Amino acid sequence: MAMLDEPGYAGIGPRIPLRELVPVPRLAGAVWLRNARVFSKLWRGALLPTFLDPFLYLLALGFGLGTYVAHINGIPYKDFIAPGLIASAAMWSSAFETTYNVYFRMNELRLYDNVLSTPVEVQDLVAGDLAWSASRATIYGIVVLGVIAIFGLVSSWWALLMPPFVVLGALCFSVIGYAFTTLIPKIDLYSYFFTLFITPMFLFSGLFFPFNQLPDWVHVVAWFMPLYHLVEITRGLATGPEFWSIVGNSVWLAAVTALLFTIPVRALRRKLVT
Amino acid sequence: MEVASPRPAAADASASIAAVRARGVTKRFGERTAVAGIDFDVEPGICFGFLGPNGAGKTTTMKMVYGLATVDAGELTVLGMDANTERRRIKSRLGVVPQETNLDADLTVSENLLQQARYFGIDAGAAEKRAAELLEFSLLSDRGEERIYGLSGGMKRRLLISRALMGDPELVVLDEPTTGLDPQARLAVWGALDRLRRRGVTLLLTTHYMEEAERLCDRLVIMDEGTIVAEGRPPDLVRAHVGREVLELKLDEGCDADRLVASLDGRIQGHDRSERTLMLYADDAEAVLEQLDHDTYRTESALVRRATLEDVFLRLTGRSLRE
Repeated sequence: MAMLDEPGYAGIGPRIPLRELVPVPRLAGAVWLRNARVFSKLWRGALLPTFLDPFLYLLALGFGLGTYVAHINGIPYKDFIAPGLIASAAMWSSAFETTYNVYFRMNELRLYDNVLSTPVEVQDLVAGDLAWSASRATIYGIVVLGVIAIFGLVSSWWALLMPPFVVLGALCFSVIGYAFTTLIPKIDLYSYFFTLFITPMFLFSGLFFPFNQLPDWVHVVAWFMPLYHLVEITRGLATGPEFWSIVGNSVWLAAVTALLFTIPVRALRRKLVT
Repeated sequence: MEVASPRPAAADASASIAAVRARGVTKRFGERTAVAGIDFDVEPGICFGFLGPNGAGKTTTMKMVYGLATVDAGELTVLGMDANTERRRIKSRLGVVPQETNLDADLTVSENLLQQARYFGIDAGAAEKRAAELLEFSLLSDRGEERIYGLSGGMKRRLLISRALMGDPELVVLDEPTTGLDPQARLAVWGALDRLRRRGVTLLLTTHYMEEAERLCDRLVIMDEGTIVAEGRPPDLVRAHVGREVLELKLDEGCDADRLVASLDGRIQGHDRSERTLMLYADDAEAVLEQLDHDTYRTESALVRRATLEDVFLRLTGRSLRE
């Protein structure tokens, strides 16, 4: 892989004892607060596209394509895709926050050199950034939920339970983006992340079409994608819950997030603590 | 104001405990040895300097002290704690002024300080009060609400110092605190460091400026290629390595420098040569100039001056360019 030859590639870094992977909540919270403070200055400009995005998808796919594809699994097409747009908004938000925004803070502003010379350690920093990314993604998800509710595309009060599940899914997207950021030597490589991972996940996670008439392997591939699991949850809650499906998908998201957390912590420590 | 409360009680108890103690401290980056087994002790309450050409290992040594580099071999104790295993506790009592300006450009001046307080777990009320005091300390009181972009280089550096003090540190590490500043801004930074030292804060600083080192440092080490080549109080170092005065001769074309030096044997403590300039070190350079056989050794100009730390530095680390 060309990436490994780049001088900026520091690798995943040595193993870290478990106790050094557990963040201190108060210090992770300090990192979260910094990001929240900056967002509070910018949110008006940042949220507007979030309103427009689901609106455009609904218009083009729900009301355009939906005219030809009347029903899927017995529900109108626009009702089918709408809850998935909450999940995909959380994914896009997480992906941008943990790639370009983290990269900018780390390599352009060089904020992390300062943060790590205070009592904050790498695991606190990563946890705070991930928690912030998930919070931001959830704000976006709630905005989209509001938009689709206005369009009358939410048929169950269970939809009000969505935010904590969106947090969980967003943490999973975020830890993947963060891992990528800590491993890449230069910013150009983000195009691979978006073209080869985020966009295919957006298109092939059962958001726009169900898998039941496609070959089995499609389902298998989708099972490995975090977005598939979050779409299952949000759709389940918007149309009336299926308890065990929600539990199963949540466990998948939580387990993958916990397992991957060690990657950015190790890689960032290797990169910044020489 | 109380930037760092004086610690008279602690001073007695810790007089025997060095603020920083290094024994055989070594750091390697792959094949390259950046720091090659150095020893030093920093007494509490003093300003301790690290001088050396680029690549001498100063910044790496600083990073090992404040936990952004691990110690590969040897023993490094900071405030009585092991630098590798007690990073978090050490950092809670330390302030760092980095070489690179890494202020948070998305926040205002005072928000930068308040955010730093959060990293130290200081509650909001105490942080507000302390930030106001430190803005005054760094002469930035009327700039609190400004963005970072609007500050001059000197203001940014003073803000970096204030930020390093938010956690009420016992030890402040400064990596080239005045590089790139104009003379007035440099004076303001020196003033701030003086006030800090008077309050009993231990300062550890690296610098390229000999004048700065002579003025600020109680003790210093000169590093070259990862090792310490000299250590002591600045005036002692000058006397030991150079003498009191320097006779600086600009030689005529064809003047034999080696024979000139040989002719003064016993009357000078040493010499250095850089192209056509010959430096002769002596306690009485005027006398050496009088004794010189001016008919045999033609010179374009001669200058007698006081010996400085710069002479020591160049004697010990050589005159060739380091890059």
